[in-house]
Amino acid sequence: MKRRNFLKYTTASLATVLSGTTGLIAWSPRAQAQTINKTFYVTQGTSTMIDGSSVYFRGFSSSPSVVNVPGELITDENGDAIQQGDTVNITIHNTLNTSHRFTIDGLNVNENIPAGQTVSFSFKASNYGSFHYYDSSNAPYNRLVGLHGAIPVMPDGSTDELYPGSPTFVQQYSWIFNDIDPVWHNEIRNGRTPTTPYLPRYFTLNGLGGRPPGAPGAHDPNIDALTDPRSALHGHIGDRTLVRIVNMGKADQSVHAHANHMEWLTENGQVRDEVWEKDCLYLEANMGAIDSIYPFDVPPDSWPRVSTGAYPMHLHTEMSQTAAGGYYMFGAMTDIYFE
Amino acid sequence: MGKRKKSSSSTSTTTSGDMGGGGGGMGMACYVYPDTPATPGRVTPDVSYDRSVYMNGSMTMDDGTTVAIWGFTDTAAGQMGGMDASGDFPSPPMRVNVGTIVHTNLSVPMMNGIHTIHHHGIEPADHADGVGHITWDVNGTYTYQWRPMSPGTYFYHCHTNTVLHAEMGMYGALIVDPPEGPGTLLSGGPIYDSEAFWVVDEIDSRWHTLGWTAGTCGQDVGLHLLEPDYFIITGVDGSGTSAMNLPPISGEMKVGEKLLARYVCAGYHPHEVRIPAGLNAKIYISDGRALPTPQSTTGFRAISGERYDMIIEPSEAGNYIVEFDIKDWITGEVWGTVKTNVVVTEP
Repeated sequence: MKRRNFLKYTTASLATVLSGTTGLIAWSPRAQAQTINKTFYVTQGTSTMIDGSSVYFRGFSSSPSVVNVPGELITDENGDAIQQGDTVNITIHNTLNTSHRFTIDGLNVNENIPAGQTVSFSFKASNYGSFHYYDSSNAPYNRLVGLHGAIPVMPDGSTDELYPGSPTFVQQYSWIFNDIDPVWHNEIRNGRTPTTPYLPRYFTLNGLGGRPPGAPGAHDPNIDALTDPRSALHGHIGDRTLVRIVNMGKADQSVHAHANHMEWLTENGQVRDEVWEKDCLYLEANMGAIDSIYPFDVPPDSWPRVSTGAYPMHLHTEMSQTAAGGYYMFGAMTDIYFE
Repeated sequence: MGKRKKSSSSTSTTTSGDMGGGGGGMGMACYVYPDTPATPGRVTPDVSYDRSVYMNGSMTMDDGTTVAIWGFTDTAAGQMGGMDASGDFPSPPMRVNVGTIVHTNLSVPMMNGIHTIHHHGIEPADHADGVGHITWDVNGTYTYQWRPMSPGTYFYHCHTNTVLHAEMGMYGALIVDPPEGPGTLLSGGPIYDSEAFWVVDEIDSRWHTLGWTAGTCGQDVGLHLLEPDYFIITGVDGSGTSAMNLPPISGEMKVGEKLLARYVCAGYHPHEVRIPAGLNAKIYISDGRALPTPQSTTGFRAISGERYDMIIEPSEAGNYIVEFDIKDWITGEVWGTVKTNVVVTEP
């Protein structure tokens, strides 16, 4: 991006940071592979946090006028998940005056996007699984500051499996966790390498923190991670739900679900030898990843037995439940609705 | 329930933090949801636990430093709660058999803040789950009704301003036995002769100067930064030798016997657990669920809230040291190490 454009963003309207449409994943099995076309804009902007602080972000965004953190799911034109064998054509317009990179580990994608340039490239979704795109340059800073998103790939010929022979599911979500040190973000904004110890003050799920009832923005799905339909799980008994989880931040986390144990299928892209049922999952920092199924079974210890109710999913590494040093419940969490 | 609270004004309460002393502190509480409704679907229980809260407890570390502790009392055993009350740390255990209907009666005395009990890993109806923003925080008396169905190690803790209240010590052991009762880990599975309880936690003494409402109205009280200076195991300073030769934290057994070690990652930073190979430890249960195949182990990592139940069956006598590194959640650097031991003698 040229200096003039940078000033436009910084003085007039640093683009409002929005979450991408990551989250609830639709899919419709196809007999034929498709060609998927996706365009991103590397943009920058600020977001006002619950304490009034303005924090700088960059994103792989859907238009030059927004900043998507995380970036949108990469899907086909109908919004359905990519299928193994599909070809993906990506065009990225880098609106900034810094170079960036678009990387997908596991799909052999690693493209440089020079400052102010537009780059197009193609790749084949040769593998199935939960993949994530991110900026691997200036690591880990560009990833931390928001340049990341998800690209789930369904196995060819399967409608309800994560991998051939996996436990089955009927719906699926993408959860991207991040932690945010505003001092580091500001250093990145100013082209400097952070020198202070990393000290995250905000914690997000799919780009949002929680807003408990009564808080500003509570129940607004664009603000509140507790009700964001891309994060909050909704299901009836038996609606087995695959959750594709990644940690873009730098802190190890404990993913803790209430009401049901989670079936732990994969860890960092590797299928586990056995499926354990866990209520806390160790999610490693720096792109640690887990696939798990939330089964939506009758809460087993209820009496009388219940089939409806609301419960939280939160990180049990409880520092992550705060914002700006306090504000319990404004961190990385969402709700689970048995309907 | 079934629906999250819809109205902001009618459910979120800003209330005076009316604690006096006892580390409860002063100040306003925001985003708490005080209520004491009747228990839906209430029936006569098989087992009841009566819990109040104490907020003037303390723990003296090996270096002589005293740190404020909050917790739950067992009022049925004559332990009264209140602003000047102290109590056990960890809080008194609950131990029930699979299939029993349990009542946890929580009474929060006036002037002692607002609290809940969440039975971590137990999965009841939402009105028995103890999560304030979904249902309510308790400012009087409320009965949680639940029926555990899976044997294993759990723990219960306060889920109000959880980041602080659990750190302050508001937790206790919760053991679910199979129908056979203590001595059997799983129906049809291993039996054991004795137990050890490894509830490993870290303490940042700065946090232990805060009041119960700290941070809830947006004050920056530093709850994003946990810099522990004490490292404890089942309520004992574990950084030296205090947790050695101290059953039921340490183990005492003979060759040929089986010891069940119940480990809880009760802190917020991750742990690295090291178990001597000579103990022949095997994990049978994690998070209250039997593993498909028991796993032999000489160590593992764990994250906040996880539990591991291990059968220890050494073949040789000895003094075996078990260590738990508490590692920073970001840097991985070791903040401190907790130690206990298993003393194995000849039969």
